[in-house]
Amino acid sequence: MFDELNDYRKKIREFALKEFTEDVSKKYDRNEEFPFDIAKKALSLGMIDMENPAKILIAIEEMCRVDAGLGISATLPYFGGEVLLLFGNDGQKKILNDVYQGKVMLGLGITEPSGGSDVAGLKTFAKKSGNKYILNGSKMFISNGAIADYLVVLARTSEEEKRHQGLSTFLVNTKLKGFKATKLENKLGVRATNTAEIEFNDVELSEGDLIGEEGKGFYYIMTFFNISRIYVAGQALGISEGAFDKIKSYVKTMNLADEQTMFDVADVSTRIEAAKQLTYNAASYLFKYDPKPELTSMAKAYSGETAVYSSEKAMEITGKSPDESIQRIFRNAKIMEIWEGTSEVEKLVISKQILKGD
Amino acid sequence: MEDEFELLRDTVRTFSEKNLDEKKIESEGITENTIQNIASQGFLGARIPSKFGGSELDEKSYNIILQELSKYSPSVAMRIFILNSLYYPLAKNTELESTLSDASSGKLNVTVDFLNNNRIDGEKFNGIVHDILNANSNKIIVFGKNPAVVDGGTIEEKDFMGFRGLKFGDIKVDSDLQYLNTTSTLNDVLENSYNAISSINLGLISGALDKAMEYSTIRKAFDYTLSSYEPVAFNLSKMISQKNILENILNSNIDSFYALNFSMNIIVETTRYALNVHGGYGYFSDFGVEKFYRDAMVMKSIFYGNSELKNLSEHVFGNKIRFI
Repeated sequence: MFDELNDYRKKIREFALKEFTEDVSKKYDRNEEFPFDIAKKALSLGMIDMENPAKILIAIEEMCRVDAGLGISATLPYFGGEVLLLFGNDGQKKILNDVYQGKVMLGLGITEPSGGSDVAGLKTFAKKSGNKYILNGSKMFISNGAIADYLVVLARTSEEEKRHQGLSTFLVNTKLKGFKATKLENKLGVRATNTAEIEFNDVELSEGDLIGEEGKGFYYIMTFFNISRIYVAGQALGISEGAFDKIKSYVKTMNLADEQTMFDVADVSTRIEAAKQLTYNAASYLFKYDPKPELTSMAKAYSGETAVYSSEKAMEITGKSPDESIQRIFRNAKIMEIWEGTSEVEKLVISKQILKGD
Repeated sequence: MEDEFELLRDTVRTFSEKNLDEKKIESEGITENTIQNIASQGFLGARIPSKFGGSELDEKSYNIILQELSKYSPSVAMRIFILNSLYYPLAKNTELESTLSDASSGKLNVTVDFLNNNRIDGEKFNGIVHDILNANSNKIIVFGKNPAVVDGGTIEEKDFMGFRGLKFGDIKVDSDLQYLNTTSTLNDVLENSYNAISSINLGLISGALDKAMEYSTIRKAFDYTLSSYEPVAFNLSKMISQKNILENILNSNIDSFYALNFSMNIIVETTRYALNVHGGYGYFSDFGVEKFYRDAMVMKSIFYGNSELKNLSEHVFGNKIRFI
């Protein structure tokens, strides 16, 4: 599945190397600015190909290998699109065409100020009123939050059922009255990405804005996580490979040959290879519509840890010759263990799935 | 005697809580006012003899100052470290002694090319001195065949993720080289600074863990505080134990090689985990925890490379360590 896409991989890598120069990466990182032009150009490469989602994974990996801040921004306009694709109505799905062409940007609103890991504990409420829903509440750390045209939002629609059964998903137009997004600044890394806090104050939604069935939102989002975690594993894999590119270049330039460094080179490359096999294996099940949640979580957790490990090793090996691009890799890597499910959450998913199987 | 140290610790802590806002220091730099404050407390010239306007404190008191300051402002602690642990040992008994009074009072900013990415020799130097921390210094000790001092110059700032309250960058220098009549080398000075480096490490670890402990007892997930759950409680407890062991190592007379080794082995893991406990909030500077992870990585990268591991191993085995 992945080997057949070597020419495509090469095309993406050439694009990233050409567009994500050190000066450009530095500029967007320093200014915490979203790279609209780059995102549009990236979409023109045809990387969102639902007939072949492996292309999205490869694009994410290769772009993040060069610069994760720009790479994630360029591959995020589609964020949340799978929820529409799998569960949305025809009208909602139509928006996706505009997303593919870079005319419309999506985002996903799940995490709240009071919690991220406890998805079923969220408090944002969509109250049914006649043929409308009135949305109130807030969301936190929402990627694309201040620049998206639409957000896929998970909200509570019933207090009476079990926590996870009373949740529903909505497609929220961000131009609606009562919608407010505040850009969050001063992130450690991935600073080109847009992150926002969202407030909903009596936002009026129509019944047509409900995605799928009422009360099924939790299951839709868990399905989405099975997809998005593969893409985060791809981000982390790209960051790891980028760190390793820097390590190799430094070791060769400096003619380092001591065993300590050689062992570090061996350890980092071994972990990256393991993360790659795990990610591609999990992805191959997912892309054949047979997701294995335990493999997906293994790929996400292990690749995230590998990104942090590789970036720290890159810092250690090159530390006395400070290089801004390596420091940026280090700062970018840490989020891989946090977003789309912390490593702790992934480990719980893995163990529960594994033990359930016997 | 122990009471005196505790009193000093309380004094530094109270001063830091009142005067040091690292978020502001990271965005605006260390202001003249802050420099004057730390100088008037006697922290700036902590190890410098009183005849040069310093506080002439013993090593333990100096380490306490570094430990407490770096919990609040790693940048301020680093500036004090550069003056007392690097500049002063190279400057003492040389022509540079005359600069120590002004350096202790904060009138003069000084630094040392301790990343050692330059080789500077000759009578005069007109060129770029690369990768200098505390770059807006009036005097910079550089290294070639021998240590020498040059005057500061125009800075081309670079992004540096650690100790952001201090300027970092390349400096365009046009200055005579004044060679220092000292037998000390950069390696000697660094080796004698292991306890000071470990003290800054301890401060970073303590600052990060204090934040994580506080957050974990307030923040709830799945109806209970984070500290009620095994992963958080087990990890933080383990890390608090490690921090306490490091404190005891630094308070005892155990070899400084071991303090450095132990502190470097735990510093990145503990500060990283402290950030982790905060979840997404930890990734933003507002919560004041990500800076410890950045600074910790810089400490390990700069002060714990192959040469330090070699030093430690040669210290343990008493013979040269080589590679195949």
